[in-house]
Amino acid sequence: MEHTEHIEHTDAPKDMKSKIWRTFWILLAFTVIDIVLYFMLLTTHSMWKNAIFIVLGVVKAYYIVGIFMHMTFERKTLKYTIILPMIFVIFFIALMIIEGNFTLSVR
Amino acid sequence: MATTTLSTEKKFTWGGGKSPFNVSYGKLMMWIFLLSDAFTFSSLLIAYGFIRTSFLAPIANTTVKPFSHLSHNFVEDMVEKTKYFVQDHWPSPELVFNHFPFIHGIHLPLFFVSLMTFILIFSSVTMVLAVEAGHRMAKAEVAKYMFLTILGGAAFLGCQAWEWTTFIGEGARLFTNPYGPRSFAALFFIVTGFHGFHVFSGVVINIIIYINVLKGTYVKRGHYEMVEKVGLYWHFVDLVWVFVFTFFYLL
Repeated sequence: MEHTEHIEHTDAPKDMKSKIWRTFWILLAFTVIDIVLYFMLLTTHSMWKNAIFIVLGVVKAYYIVGIFMHMTFERKTLKYTIILPMIFVIFFIALMIIEGNFTLSVR
Repeated sequence: MATTTLSTEKKFTWGGGKSPFNVSYGKLMMWIFLLSDAFTFSSLLIAYGFIRTSFLAPIANTTVKPFSHLSHNFVEDMVEKTKYFVQDHWPSPELVFNHFPFIHGIHLPLFFVSLMTFILIFSSVTMVLAVEAGHRMAKAEVAKYMFLTILGGAAFLGCQAWEWTTFIGEGARLFTNPYGPRSFAALFFIVTGFHGFHVFSGVVINIIIYINVLKGTYVKRGHYEMVEKVGLYWHFVDLVWVFVFTFFYLL
């Protein structure tokens, strides 16, 4: 029996169902905000506009990964294993967009 | 009696008798797989961001209003008369993706992709509800929500097939693009195609798990962890769509 240490499930909160639906409405709201902003900013083209949409995407990602994929209830080790590499990816996205602007300026 | 509890508990422990991440081995490996898959999609989207910004920004559309009527040869007009689609400017997504099934000749910018986004988010919700029901060992509920998730996935695939058909019907190919820079069409087909393939495999995996749920495999096993694992994959597909949507239709 010493081999079968039972894992206590990092249990989902009791009101998981209401949490799920709340997350759904938040995601829907952010999608609507995305589209409204897109049409409001249709004629502006600048770096901060790109930044706004990417940040909104990251916020939605937080809710999907955190609540739907249960990440906020997991252990710190697992959180950092998955999230730390992705932070560098966001950095990479920003770098390549800046690089693209430079390519445009020398084209 | 002792053997059954042993076999279920063993699923959660590793060789050393402990699980360092407090999740089962299979679930951790699903996470690692998703991380590697996220790298693949990131590389595609980073390529999109780079190529998109290395072209001039879309020409702002001031003539075509939402809900207005479209001429029969809309794309040719945009190329020849208004000159919204030219070679050195990236095309404005709202002028490219402005069709809706069964509604012909009306400018409905981004309505259809918004619907697709909604469908995918909703199928993600039904998936997480299936996982939640699995924690309570409620077999009928798990089956119901798994079925709804499969329906949502199939609906999304149908939408994407329609979107591709419309896009190809207007002359877009992997190496030709009537809307302007040809890399626009190439990136569209490769990135949404790659994502669509993930949705397709997700639906297939969901169907397999759904059949297992109906057969009672997980009642015998004592837990619905398999549903959680495919759930992780399904949410990941939704997550990728959030970024595909952001990059393709909004940037």
